[in-house]
Amino acid sequence: MREPLPITVLRHAVLLLFVAIAMWPVMDVISISIRPGNRLRTTELELVPYDATLDSYRRLLADATFWRWLGNSMLVAGAVTITGVTLASIGGYAFSRFRFVGRQAMMISILTTQMFPATMLLLPLYLMIARLGLINTYAGLCVFYVSTALPFCVWQMKGFYDTIPHSLEEAARIDGCSQWVAFRRVILPLASPGLVITALFSFMSAWSEYIVAAQILQDRDMFTLPVGLKSFQSSLSTQWGLYAAASLLVSLPVVVVFILLSRYLVSGLTLGSVKE
Amino acid sequence: MSQLETNGERLPRPQQTRRRWTWAAIALALLTGCLEPQASRLINLWHQMRPEDRAVLNARIEAFERQHPGVKVRALYKETEELRSGLVSAVLARRGPEVIYGPSDVLGVYQAMGALEDMSPYLPPEDLAAFDPRAVIRVPSRDDPARSELVFLGDRFGNHLALVYNKRFIAKAPETTDELVALARQHTVDENGDGVPDRFGIVWNYTEPFFFIPFLTGYGAWVYREPVDDVHAPTPALDTPQAVEAYRFVASLRTEHRVLPPSADYEAARALFLAGKAAMLIDGDWSWQNYLTDENVDAGLAVLPTVSATGLPMAPMVAPKGYSLGSFAQGDQARLAMELIRFLTDAETQKAYLVQQRILPSRLALRVDPLVTGDPLMATSVAQAERGRAMPTDVAMRNVWDAMRPPYQLLLAGQIDAAEAGRRMQRDAIDKNRAMLSRTAADETVVVLYGLGLAAIAALAVFQRHSFTAFFRELRRNRLAYLLVLPAMALMGLTVVYPLAYNVVLSFSNMSLTNLRDWEIIGVKNYASIAAGEHAGQFWGVFLKTLLWTALNVSLHVVLGVLLAVTLHGPVRGKSIYRVLLIIPWAVPAYITALTWRGMFDEQFGAVNHLIRAVSGYLPGFLRLEPLNWLGAAGPAFAACIIANVWLGFPFMMVIALGGLQGIPAELYEAARMDRASRWQQFWHITLPMLKPVLVPAVTLGAVWTFNNLNVVWLVSNGGEPADQTHILVSYVYKAVFNMYQYGYGAALSMVIFLMLLAFSLVFLQRTRATEAVA
Repeated sequence: MREPLPITVLRHAVLLLFVAIAMWPVMDVISISIRPGNRLRTTELELVPYDATLDSYRRLLADATFWRWLGNSMLVAGAVTITGVTLASIGGYAFSRFRFVGRQAMMISILTTQMFPATMLLLPLYLMIARLGLINTYAGLCVFYVSTALPFCVWQMKGFYDTIPHSLEEAARIDGCSQWVAFRRVILPLASPGLVITALFSFMSAWSEYIVAAQILQDRDMFTLPVGLKSFQSSLSTQWGLYAAASLLVSLPVVVVFILLSRYLVSGLTLGSVKE
Repeated sequence: MSQLETNGERLPRPQQTRRRWTWAAIALALLTGCLEPQASRLINLWHQMRPEDRAVLNARIEAFERQHPGVKVRALYKETEELRSGLVSAVLARRGPEVIYGPSDVLGVYQAMGALEDMSPYLPPEDLAAFDPRAVIRVPSRDDPARSELVFLGDRFGNHLALVYNKRFIAKAPETTDELVALARQHTVDENGDGVPDRFGIVWNYTEPFFFIPFLTGYGAWVYREPVDDVHAPTPALDTPQAVEAYRFVASLRTEHRVLPPSADYEAARALFLAGKAAMLIDGDWSWQNYLTDENVDAGLAVLPTVSATGLPMAPMVAPKGYSLGSFAQGDQARLAMELIRFLTDAETQKAYLVQQRILPSRLALRVDPLVTGDPLMATSVAQAERGRAMPTDVAMRNVWDAMRPPYQLLLAGQIDAAEAGRRMQRDAIDKNRAMLSRTAADETVVVLYGLGLAAIAALAVFQRHSFTAFFRELRRNRLAYLLVLPAMALMGLTVVYPLAYNVVLSFSNMSLTNLRDWEIIGVKNYASIAAGEHAGQFWGVFLKTLLWTALNVSLHVVLGVLLAVTLHGPVRGKSIYRVLLIIPWAVPAYITALTWRGMFDEQFGAVNHLIRAVSGYLPGFLRLEPLNWLGAAGPAFAACIIANVWLGFPFMMVIALGGLQGIPAELYEAARMDRASRWQQFWHITLPMLKPVLVPAVTLGAVWTFNNLNVVWLVSNGGEPADQTHILVSYVYKAVFNMYQYGYGAALSMVIFLMLLAFSLVFLQRTRATEAVA
């Protein structure tokens, strides 16, 4: 159905305005990253400076440690994504389909984990990781990331399973499948949009985390990207050009993944309620 | 389990099996392969070396490793705050760096927490004689204040401020403050005649009181009462008549002489000077080389002038930087660490820093090196350093800084006068000393507390016994369900429940800087002081601000999210492109965008004010905006935080709402059109009610996240600036814990936050459900 012209124009006007707002800070970072080092602070509103340079990028990309850190980040974020999705997909399924004693309590306790100021958990968590002997290991980092990403992921998966009709499994059960097989063969494939989004969240939470990584990792060669890039900085004289370029390079993979998955985003993101 | 396997085998699935093994292998490799490498002798060095100086450090470390085969030095750069919190964790975990490198002003804090070891057994006195005595620092022992321990050996001297001036404007540097004011007035000019100066006489970093110290000393004042009365917590002297004169002078530069820009942090001050928009600049020795070699300015360096009113020279603080021995090393390990310290402070290393980075050595023999005496920069540096006063190293100095910062910022913003600034600084410094160093004793509530705890456990056991027995029955019946939730719950239990329990215990304790390890349960005092202590007023103020923050953010998120979703959900060309671009704010890591927004709100160089300046000419009068000093005043700074957070959060709500819109059957709208319902009526009576079930959980979660969003507030307002007026509860907790080391108090505060959010979510979810049931 065609809409009246004023409505169409209005739609585009609103969308264009917000696209401009959404892109503005990103443009600002891009603009800083290509400015030559001696005039990072300008008073002009220009986007691409007349003397634009890719020097900052060149310096970063030519640095061998940069690639190493990138690899480390990939490894950590990848491991977190795999574990997070696995645990959330099975845990969320149980919360969606089974009624068992303690279910309600567990659901609420998952929600409550989001309510505690995360910074206060840092110190006890560090002590625990130290006690487990996991300081300066990726395993220590992964344990932390997975467990902080899990509450949201479980909730999100549970919400997604809730949208899948029970009749599908029932049909499979009648055909002789066990509940587990019905889950694996019938429900899990249908849940792929939800899984994709869960994977995205696990990946994001691990990819750009800084504070915990800075405490746990002690070896320069083991740094993840945010920790590594922060080490270029010093207290008083931030090298803004380098920092901006680095920020963009950290963000780039996430943004690309986000864009690739954006068509799943709308159908895959569901937040189920706690109660039925 | 066996049933599962037999069931599964009916279906062919070789591929899945292989895939599963690959996953297991990856997980195994992660767990085992990345354990710490077992170097034979490993020395950890946590340092605060500037990027420029790290080349020398790394080269010298390599030389040391060559001399000591089998020894590996692991150097790790840590920012000031990271180093401090890292050491707290290290002391608690009894595992930390053997060698620490940094400025001397934090030694008191490190010593109080028990992170330092006495170096004197390893250093013969004749070795120490070669150093500037101000670079060899002893502090009172923790066990016996009468005894002092050698905890610091400096490798360089400095951190002092001097006057950098642009020779294009100023031929000869001022020798007195009268000359300085005259020159500054002469060079504060409005070139384009718009009523706002384009060039300022003088500028420095207003946010840090460190840059104010030369004025204080020039007027004959000092941060502590003299002579010092208490080695741990000397009485501050921030409200003496001399100090107030100094505040008045600085304020007059702003109000009377009008030679200062309205706001300037470190970066802005530096940028103004480099752009030729400031004739003079006060900056430290770490930066001089950069100014003098910059092609865009013809910079000169001079000793700070003498204050005309007193005849005293403006004396900056000087502080050595150097090495300390961590208390984590014992025996051979400590001896090896000391060898590293001696190696890194030897003449060869210091010479390398001098040659490559023009750093003032702490070894007296190198002070007569031609590189020092023959170089104008180094000569000025030495002259300025000799006028300087040594930076105090005790714990109380940190409180002095924290107490000075807010009133100092308010003074420069013209919001309070000099006498009031002095009063506030003095009062806060004394308060903070008391809070940080006093040790709260247990009271009778401890007994009540234990009683209540036991009663709660007993009540749980009695009233919930049926659920427990039911649980064990269920365990057999519903084995698959428990099996499925077990891994996720176990992991969350490990990493969330344990820290939470730890925190509950801590909230009843007196853990603080001086008793990191030997804290005790003191009852409910922490909770009492939140609700009714001397800072309770501040707490309730912050609490209200947090409510405002959450309400504004969440409602704007929802309104914008729904607006955009409704706009996007329809026959729009280029829908997918719009959608991708609109979720960008969500995709970029939040700490990056938060810092970007901070830059954009900068008064001089920020994009927001550029835009305001650029468009205001085209707008009708009532819409015209003035460029704002966004981060310099409480209201605009808080607004800036909200703007940044609304920007970050609207895409999430948009996506949620879009998902909800897709679930609304089209027939509803068709029916409504049949009934000639307007678009607005359709939105109000169909869209919104149908979106509600989707939005309620999202709003709940969004409110909880926003309430607890430390990142944005902390980064945009730079930790609550100006003057701690932009805090929300989480950043307030963060500050209490990390700046004041009040772990007990901070834990109690976070319990309060937790309980408030829990109550809110339960009530909110219940309410929304109840209304649905009625409707």
